[in-house]
Amino acid sequence: MFLSTEHQQVADMTRRFADEVIRPEAERLDREEVFAAEIYQEMAKNGLFGIMTPDTYGGAGLDCLAYSIVMEELSRGYASVADQCGLVELLTTLLCTYGTEQQRNEWIGPLIRAEKRGAYCITEAGAGSDVSGVKTTAVRKGNGWVLNGSKLWIHNAPVSDVAFVLARTNPEAGKRGMSIFIVDCNESGVFRGPKEHKLGQRSSQIGELSFTDVKLPEDALLGTEGRGFHMMMSVLEKGRVGIGALAVGIIQAALEASVEQAKLRQQFGHAISEFQAIQFMLADMAKDAEAARLLVRSAAMKLDAGVDAAMASSMAKCFAGDAAVLHTANAIQIFGGSGYIRGYEVERLFRDAKITQIYEGTNQIQRVIIARKLLQ
Amino acid sequence: MKIIVAVKRVVDYNVKVHVKTDGSGVDIANAKKSMNPFDEIAVEEAVRLKESGLASEVIAVSIGVAQCQDTLRTALAMGADRAILVQTDAEVQPLAVAKLLKALCEKEEPFIVLVGKQAIDDDSNQTGQMLAALMNWPQATFASKVEIEDNTARVSREIDGGIETVEISLPAVITADLRLNQPRYATLPNIMKAKKKPLEIVTPESLGVDISSRLKTLRVAEPPKRATGVKVNDVADLVAKLKEKLKGTGVMVWPV
Repeated sequence: MFLSTEHQQVADMTRRFADEVIRPEAERLDREEVFAAEIYQEMAKNGLFGIMTPDTYGGAGLDCLAYSIVMEELSRGYASVADQCGLVELLTTLLCTYGTEQQRNEWIGPLIRAEKRGAYCITEAGAGSDVSGVKTTAVRKGNGWVLNGSKLWIHNAPVSDVAFVLARTNPEAGKRGMSIFIVDCNESGVFRGPKEHKLGQRSSQIGELSFTDVKLPEDALLGTEGRGFHMMMSVLEKGRVGIGALAVGIIQAALEASVEQAKLRQQFGHAISEFQAIQFMLADMAKDAEAARLLVRSAAMKLDAGVDAAMASSMAKCFAGDAAVLHTANAIQIFGGSGYIRGYEVERLFRDAKITQIYEGTNQIQRVIIARKLLQ
Repeated sequence: MKIIVAVKRVVDYNVKVHVKTDGSGVDIANAKKSMNPFDEIAVEEAVRLKESGLASEVIAVSIGVAQCQDTLRTALAMGADRAILVQTDAEVQPLAVAKLLKALCEKEEPFIVLVGKQAIDDDSNQTGQMLAALMNWPQATFASKVEIEDNTARVSREIDGGIETVEISLPAVITADLRLNQPRYATLPNIMKAKKKPLEIVTPESLGVDISSRLKTLRVAEPPKRATGVKVNDVADLVAKLKEKLKGTGVMVWPV
């Protein structure tokens, strides 16, 4: 796809950053399951958090297309690192769209400077794809609120400083009875669970975040009471563009590794790249990477233009995630036995890819959204 | 206290290039282009001099096709204040580049011109030297360290077998070597800010410079393919094979 000078510069800069700073660390971060604090400091210095945040709040002030480009290039370096960028993007978007001036000033700067670690809390034991099952409650008390409940599989939970929590404020009102609260994780009653040991994206710290009688001030409420579900959902289209782009980055990394290996690996007296069985796998990988990239960028451009992007962002996320799982498996096939060994990039890519079919709305939910749009 | 820094748009260093089948040149028409890495080091040095208060303005200059504007935007995103493109579709050889830079030097009156020591496409390593000669200015090439004090520059130069330190009076031409600095990334906010910085476009004609070619390329050929290597079992085997290979050449293998 032809990019403008600025978008191309963003792509070049991020790719170089990923090659020099992220990629050399990916294997270690995966093996040790550690939070990539130093890399996030470097990213913050180079404006790689808060891509769409206006410069008045210290962001880069770019568009969603640029955001998708950044996510792809970061992920080509290491998906966990891209996901951290995506998480900050969602939180700053919530703040920019719904926050009061005071909330923006308090949280946006520390989040994009990587001084504070944020968590975005929707999922619970009984509320995954069905968000209406949220049981966490916030009850009015005096001039504030009291928060109770438990959130699962929360990105950054073990290391979080601030959490954006979807809670029920009116038990009778269903989806219209939920609100979002900004919770300081150092308050008493907040429990950060230990990190879960995952299949892939192992540098991402995921765990439980629970709240027992956590007292919140009045201004902890983000946006309008009762509109929490709608607000969380409103940023998910951008989230899906981000995860779609992240999946494209994984495919691209798998493709580059596979092409290199196919030219190097000799069997039957030939480089295996001379065999059509391998060539066809490479060709399919390249065409799906490009198709996924175009779907992602098309959805991003729809968001930039302010037109309905629900179907486009679901298609992009779903297609890219499925393609990432398929083609990272094929990359291992091209590598043969060595691709199955820890320490080989394609082995990690295969593990990193799987979650892209699950988080940010499962690919089954994406299909439901697409079908609903088709049939409405 | 202006600095002019010249940047060339070249084939990206990651691209593997091939010679055209008719031997008339290297096929780069569809290859990705980016700023010559040595020029990036020159831009970084210029911006650092400005940041430390030793220069007042950094002017990035490029010479070539309209797309060189992208290269200049990168220099602006790295911290240059404004840019000038001398736009031409013609092939511009080192002497012509030096003459164009001379014309800009006479107009802008910089106290330092920084350029990369050479461009990674033709590796001429001539522009900086030719410009110094045309301006009758001192030059310090292959710089690995630059210190400015009053009207002089102390420059450490990478030469065969070590580092040579020279002191030159300003104005002067300095060409950047690999170890001079580690160029910064053009940060995302600065990429946006660079959009609004001034970029002036002039032509060789408007500068009154004749850029006609002085050199003619007769033929371009691929370097010979590397011969197949030999496998050795261990170091002793390696030494033995080397000795065998070097017998009668006068070259010694250590340990003997």
